Amino acid sequence: MRRLGRAAAAAARGAVRTIPAARREWAEAVWAEAHEVPAGWQRLAWRVGGLRLVAKEAQMVRRTGILLLFAAAAGAAAWGAWPGSPVSHGAAVQGGIIITLTLLAGLPMLTRWRLGPPGSRAARWLRAGLYAAILVVMPAQGAIGLFVGTVPRGGIDRHTFDVFQGPGVPGSSSGGPNWGGEIGILFVTALYVAVVLALTARRTPVAPATLAIGTGAGLLVGAAMYTLEPLGLSPKYPTRPWLHGSAAEAVVALFWILLFGAPLIAGVIAGWRCHVPRDPEQAYAARVWQGFAAGLVSGGLGAVFVTVAGAGTTALLLRSAWVRNLVYHGQHLTASAVYGRELYASQDVAAYVFLLAAFPLVGLVMGLIGAGIANATGRRAEAGELTAPSGC
Amino acid sequence: MGSRTEFSPQTLSVLAAMCGQPSAWQHGYALSRETGLKSGTLYPILIRLADRGLVEARWQEEPVPGRPRRHLYRLTPDGLASATAAMAEAKLAEAERTEAERARARQGARPRRERGVAAPVVP
Repeated sequence: MRRLGRAAAAAARGAVRTIPAARREWAEAVWAEAHEVPAGWQRLAWRVGGLRLVAKEAQMVRRTGILLLFAAAAGAAAWGAWPGSPVSHGAAVQGGIIITLTLLAGLPMLTRWRLGPPGSRAARWLRAGLYAAILVVMPAQGAIGLFVGTVPRGGIDRHTFDVFQGPGVPGSSSGGPNWGGEIGILFVTALYVAVVLALTARRTPVAPATLAIGTGAGLLVGAAMYTLEPLGLSPKYPTRPWLHGSAAEAVVALFWILLFGAPLIAGVIAGWRCHVPRDPEQAYAARVWQGFAAGLVSGGLGAVFVTVAGAGTTALLLRSAWVRNLVYHGQHLTASAVYGRELYASQDVAAYVFLLAAFPLVGLVMGLIGAGIANATGRRAEAGELTAPSGC
Repeated sequence: MGSRTEFSPQTLSVLAAMCGQPSAWQHGYALSRETGLKSGTLYPILIRLADRGLVEARWQEEPVPGRPRRHLYRLTPDGLASATAAMAEAKLAEAERTEAERARARQGARPRRERGVAAPVVP
């Protein structure tokens, strides 16, 4: 027992140094008070409680760690996405990268000031997931951008493109900076970040369960879409390497069912799970909030999933033999043939922007319909039941 | 969810313990014994209350020889007002809940089960 107590004491003395100076006296207070607690298990339990306190307070250090992690990830993403000097559209891309990173760093501060910090673990994970997705898409988008606008000499069926000798050379596309495209992507990125930060803030009446339900539904939609189109959003063969004929038709049907059905069901479940106030109008508002959030998150997350996985696969195709083998397993394609298909897939990159706008709208409408269904079929608050102050 | 007050039940128990002797400085271990809270729960509550200006803290001026100085706590005037109001509100909420349970029992309905908490037996 004494050894255990001494070990806990030594651990706590070391751990106290990891918490900020302003909080240290509290840890020292627990420690000083341990001398008043009867020796034995009681004192040991008291000291273990002190260690828990230190762990909790050290979260401030964890926050600093998260900031450093974000800085490192943002730096790596910018390095991966930064265009080389021969690229004539480099100015627009560079501007896009800088503005994107500024948005990622600045919007949370603005949201925290207006709506408070993230309200739950689900909220923090959702935010982290979106940030990771954006930072992954940046270098992928940079890699794909080298091929957008290039013109192959041959058709896709010839399995080869002699682009390096043609007028459209990857990495030196003519036509000047594509400011319009960059502004469109920036607008969509800012909208996604702002909406997710707002929905996950403490003062927004969205329950953690609603965020989790929306996330699950969104991952389902995204996975179905990615299974269908791992290399872009064209129904033509090159972007659909592993599904043909009736197999593709079944997945297409499943995808359409999930696109409309998953946000609807998410909205209904989120509305049912909601702890409703006694007042019918407040109850209705609370359910609408949950349906709105569940639908929006499911549609938006589905679109983000497809964008990240699709753009990532396309970008990795040329660079990784492992990915080539995974996507075109057993087809023994030459590098130039694969290059041609990758080039073909990259022509559909603009479709991602459409998808990123369309999926959340579909999710939003279906989620609200789900909330209506939940309101019509869900339980009523019973007389005398205590009400939640902010929706759920 | 279950309470309309801004304090958790554990925080309310700490405030109640400190309300007993509002002008006296109290030790952490005494508060722990009175509230039944472990140190890992009690001290974070005291920290939050101190951050909000509801509790003030200071170190003991004359420690017992051979013992480290102890940290002492008491409610501030704001803390006393907040604690009194919160406890009155909690008492009211409890009364409302009991009344609702009785009404349900009178109507012959089965007592509702809160999530993870057994429904109280109504005589």
